[in-house]
Amino acid sequence: MIYFDNSATTRVFDQAAQRAALAMTERFFNPAAAYGAAFSVEKEVNAARAYAAQLLGVRPEEVFFTSGGTESNNIAVFGALAAARGKKRVVTTMVEHASVYETVLAAAKRYDAEVVYAPLNDDGTVNVDRLGEVLSPDTALVSIMHVNNELGSVNDLDRIAAKVRTYAPNALFHSDGVQAFLKLPQTRIPCDLYSISAHKFHAPKGVGILYVRSGAKVAPGQIGGGQERNFRSGTSNTPAILGMDTAMRLYSEHKAEFHANLSAVKERLYADLSTLPDVVLNGPELSHGAKHILNVSFLGVRGEVLLHALEQKQIYVSTGSACAAKKIGKNRILHAVGIDGARQEGAIRFSFCPFNTVAEADYVAETIGEQLALLRRYRRR
Amino acid sequence: MKQVLLVRYAEIHLKGLNRPYFERMLVDRMRDALLPLRARIEREQGRVFVYDLPEESIAEAAAKICGVFGVHSVSPALCVEKNWDSIRTAAISLVAPDADKPTTFKCFAKRSDKRFPMTSEQICRELGHVLLDAYETLSVDVHHPALKVTVEVRQQSAFVFTKEMLGVGGMPVGTNGKAMLLISGGIDSPVAGYMIAKRGVALSAVHFYSYPYTSERARDKVVELTKIVARYAGEIDLYLVPFTEIQLAIYDRCPSSETTVLMRRLMMKIAERIANQCGAQALVTGEAIGQVASQTMDSLACTDDAVSLPVFRPLIGFDKEEIVERAQKIGTFETSILPFEDCCTVFVPQHPVTRPKVEQLRQSEALVDFEPMIESAIAATECMKISQFVLD
Repeated sequence: MIYFDNSATTRVFDQAAQRAALAMTERFFNPAAAYGAAFSVEKEVNAARAYAAQLLGVRPEEVFFTSGGTESNNIAVFGALAAARGKKRVVTTMVEHASVYETVLAAAKRYDAEVVYAPLNDDGTVNVDRLGEVLSPDTALVSIMHVNNELGSVNDLDRIAAKVRTYAPNALFHSDGVQAFLKLPQTRIPCDLYSISAHKFHAPKGVGILYVRSGAKVAPGQIGGGQERNFRSGTSNTPAILGMDTAMRLYSEHKAEFHANLSAVKERLYADLSTLPDVVLNGPELSHGAKHILNVSFLGVRGEVLLHALEQKQIYVSTGSACAAKKIGKNRILHAVGIDGARQEGAIRFSFCPFNTVAEADYVAETIGEQLALLRRYRRR
Repeated sequence: MKQVLLVRYAEIHLKGLNRPYFERMLVDRMRDALLPLRARIEREQGRVFVYDLPEESIAEAAAKICGVFGVHSVSPALCVEKNWDSIRTAAISLVAPDADKPTTFKCFAKRSDKRFPMTSEQICRELGHVLLDAYETLSVDVHHPALKVTVEVRQQSAFVFTKEMLGVGGMPVGTNGKAMLLISGGIDSPVAGYMIAKRGVALSAVHFYSYPYTSERARDKVVELTKIVARYAGEIDLYLVPFTEIQLAIYDRCPSSETTVLMRRLMMKIAERIANQCGAQALVTGEAIGQVASQTMDSLACTDDAVSLPVFRPLIGFDKEEIVERAQKIGTFETSILPFEDCCTVFVPQHPVTRPKVEQLRQSEALVDFEPMIESAIAATECMKISQFVLD
């Protein structure tokens, strides 16, 4: 099996799985319980919090554990709008993941806010020079993703944050960092809210982080027993949190070598694919994009058909976000950056992890070459 | 006094000497429908009775029986001894829930045991008195009663009931042979299968998939649809046939405007062979005249020409809207519209023939030696037994 769909999810590190298993069997205590055994689990959870805070360059009390990227994005968007007063504007982009894009629409409806989409560059990044045009003093929330999940475009959060401070001083700046965390050289962040999902970096599913800058006015998520400092109630998901802790540490410790490997695989695959006819790169230039995402269109083939053909060879890729794979119709993200027609139809997203090798990239490209020769013979006529 | 279901059957009335056979089949199908509940089911002079149901399951059982082909209607009834006292008590208790507010009623009686001392007319009259005395809220309306209190005095016992739930009608599955349904995953074919099964026909089904042009999820959707049809039609053998090779050969070697009709012809041929192997006597499709290019009169004639078994198309005169309505009613619609396939569009010509000629299609088909491909497709066919009880 060759798994090139690591933006959908990743294989859990063995050590992370073992840590999670331990937290389900021997160290299963509820960290909120009063006795010593439980307290020692609480200490582990807080150590995980402190470690995440250190990576992000923030304080531990600004790190909240959630059930994952979608919940983090929901709390950020709804929480920011619920706490904002007066006339509201939300500035976001047309290329956000559904858990921001749809959430912004729903929250704007509930809190009677106006949604404005930021201008984009062709590579899927926000046009920061023109960002000031859509920011305003009554802007309550700016939500712009860090790394685009389909194209791999990387936004410069520092520059965006500076613009927000200048043109929308009353706004909270949220960024969906699900595809960015640990995948970029830098992990420190300049925003008020930041979302992380653990299963994208070899940790279990069902856990994530929302960073909330202290002092930022954000209404809490689910209400209940007051866990996570009354911001997100619910018994702590210790197996997932501790599994995530282990994964974060492993990834962070090996970051240099992991990143080198991701770049090598991505560059090799693209070099191989470039030798095939009618192959077009989507999104940013190779060196500008995230190291783990490569989006390419194979003209004259439907992405789904190529995907299923590769599946028969145990090669797993995707045509876009798994969260949109079952929806019919156009690809919102590609459309937003002007990729339509045959180029949109033939788009495939490859996403890598440190376990992938250049030999795999060669084999995938070779297989695609064979399949293209077959599939391209059959076009609608 | 015990709770039973009194079941009336639909067309079986019209049967002559083989009526007991139809009745037995109906009882078998009712028994299947009630599983995992085990009830005692007895036939008696034009009625079927279901005994020994746990009280809390009566409503659910009645609904299930209503969905059995061959059932005209079902009445949850009280079964009592054949004496006036018992009948009277049963009627009073049965009417109680409806008598909490003013309402109208009328009594009906049927006496198939003529030894019973009261005539039907007397029963009605007396029971009317009894109910009027028992509940001040009741009044008689012989033309449009809100409540119909019915007493049937039969050989073994008497039955009292107030409700009659309409069943689906039709004939018990298995009384009219077996047919092979071509099921696609769309809206039409499951409805077609339902309608044929309703006439007492047991079903097998065949589905053609074209990996990598269709996905595993699309195939699974067909399994789900078959499962829903099996709720009504009983167990269905589903044959899954790989069809890509044939589809590519048609594309490569035959005139492009004819691809769809040729594909239909080859599907019919394969379906017919599988039908012959498994003892199905006809093919069933969800086609309707003029719905798409491959369903014009000319195209249907060309499709028929590919096989010698009869082809049943129960939706032939239906509008799409009517088909959708039925799909919603039988519960297949939501599954049918799941958006999984659509990659097959590469094989759909932009300008398909709408008036193909049989002779021309035969010639086009002869351009390719399909026989080995048909054989290998059938050899690679997978058969799944689908019943409503199989969970995946």
